[in-house]
Amino acid sequence: MDSKINQSQLTDLFAQASGMSKSASEQFVKSFFDIISEKVLSEGLVKVKGFGTFKLLQIEDRESVNVNTGERFTIEGHQKITFTPDAELKESVNRPFASFETVEITEEQEKVLEELDQTPVVVGDDEEDVEGPQVRDITPEPRKRILRTILLWLLCIVLVGYLVWILLWPVIGNGIIAYLDKPQTEKVSITAIDRDSVSAARLQAEQELEIESVGQTVQTETVEPEKSVEPVPAVQPETKPAAAEQEKVITQSFLMDEEDMMRDLSTFTVADTVKYRIAGCLTTHVMKSGETLTKLSLRYYGTKKLWPYIAAYNGITDFGHIDPSAVIRIPKIAYRGNGK
Amino acid sequence: MNNKQFLTELSGKCQMTQENAAGMVQTLVEVMDKVWQNGDTISLSGFGVLEVKKKNERISVNPTTGVRMLVPPKLVLSYKPSTLLKEKLK
Repeated sequence: MDSKINQSQLTDLFAQASGMSKSASEQFVKSFFDIISEKVLSEGLVKVKGFGTFKLLQIEDRESVNVNTGERFTIEGHQKITFTPDAELKESVNRPFASFETVEITEEQEKVLEELDQTPVVVGDDEEDVEGPQVRDITPEPRKRILRTILLWLLCIVLVGYLVWILLWPVIGNGIIAYLDKPQTEKVSITAIDRDSVSAARLQAEQELEIESVGQTVQTETVEPEKSVEPVPAVQPETKPAAAEQEKVITQSFLMDEEDMMRDLSTFTVADTVKYRIAGCLTTHVMKSGETLTKLSLRYYGTKKLWPYIAAYNGITDFGHIDPSAVIRIPKIAYRGNGK
Repeated sequence: MNNKQFLTELSGKCQMTQENAAGMVQTLVEVMDKVWQNGDTISLSGFGVLEVKKKNERISVNPTTGVRMLVPPKLVLSYKPSTLLKEKLK
């Protein structure tokens, strides 16, 4: 298709068709066209039956106008070679479209034509003659259409998804960020708290231990002489409940009086012990065997840790040797407030 | 120059009878027709190009009656003389 056939190729084809020798067919083809071109020039007309008519036309001078400049000029007369194929050949060449006939257009058809832009009508008629290629064309058409629709759908889905993503990103994104961040921050805070609380607890424990050890030394040292001095352990069980009750009442009353002391004693630390000042005498206490300054502190202040105030108020320096039955003045302490 | 004259000239050149020549012309045209049916063009140096061209369908109007006619598309054999031949015209 659409390739050029030159003289030698044509000769080969002719030789095959006619059964003539190559040289003879070459001679024939050559002379055939030579005669035509020669005689057209010399005689102005060559008629070949079954092929057509070559004519030499005389074209007269004519005036024309240069479109750009508007100048008038003459196109000189010249000669032109025309070819009119024989009706036979014409028909044979036009065979693919032979079924068509010139049709008168009615108004209705005109409308249809306008709508269809003329060409589809012809294409529709085309099928009669060019059935082969037309039929072959039909199969890839739906496939293409299906592929196209699928592609379109995919594109739509992608676009919609993209749009939704863009629109909902602030919401989803924040949610995701919050979700991702929450456990982390929680962990961090927990660990921080843990560490703080642990360290605080450890510190408190250490300090308590320190104090208690001091107290214990005091206790042990005080207890030893008491035991040797006081040979009446039977009395203690009897007095103890009463004493305990009394103690309770006292501590309660004391705590009632001193609102400052209402602070949560469970969180009371050593550092807090500095926050008080001695504000006069609260009461006096007669030491019994087995009692220590820490015990007095616990009894009157609700915590063991304030015993140094008692010691300082009574000028006791030798905590280990407090005489039994010694009179201890319990200081009234007031909260100084935070710091200092 | 009509067909008869052409055949005598051709038969003289190729040394064959006129009847023979007429038959050969027929076969040559048939061969060329096949080439055109395939959609190929025949280009001969010194003569020109013989080619089949498609003319699109068109609507023609009869000027006197105003009737519109749909002229169907057609395949037309066209001839374009070679430049060599054109030169000889001058």
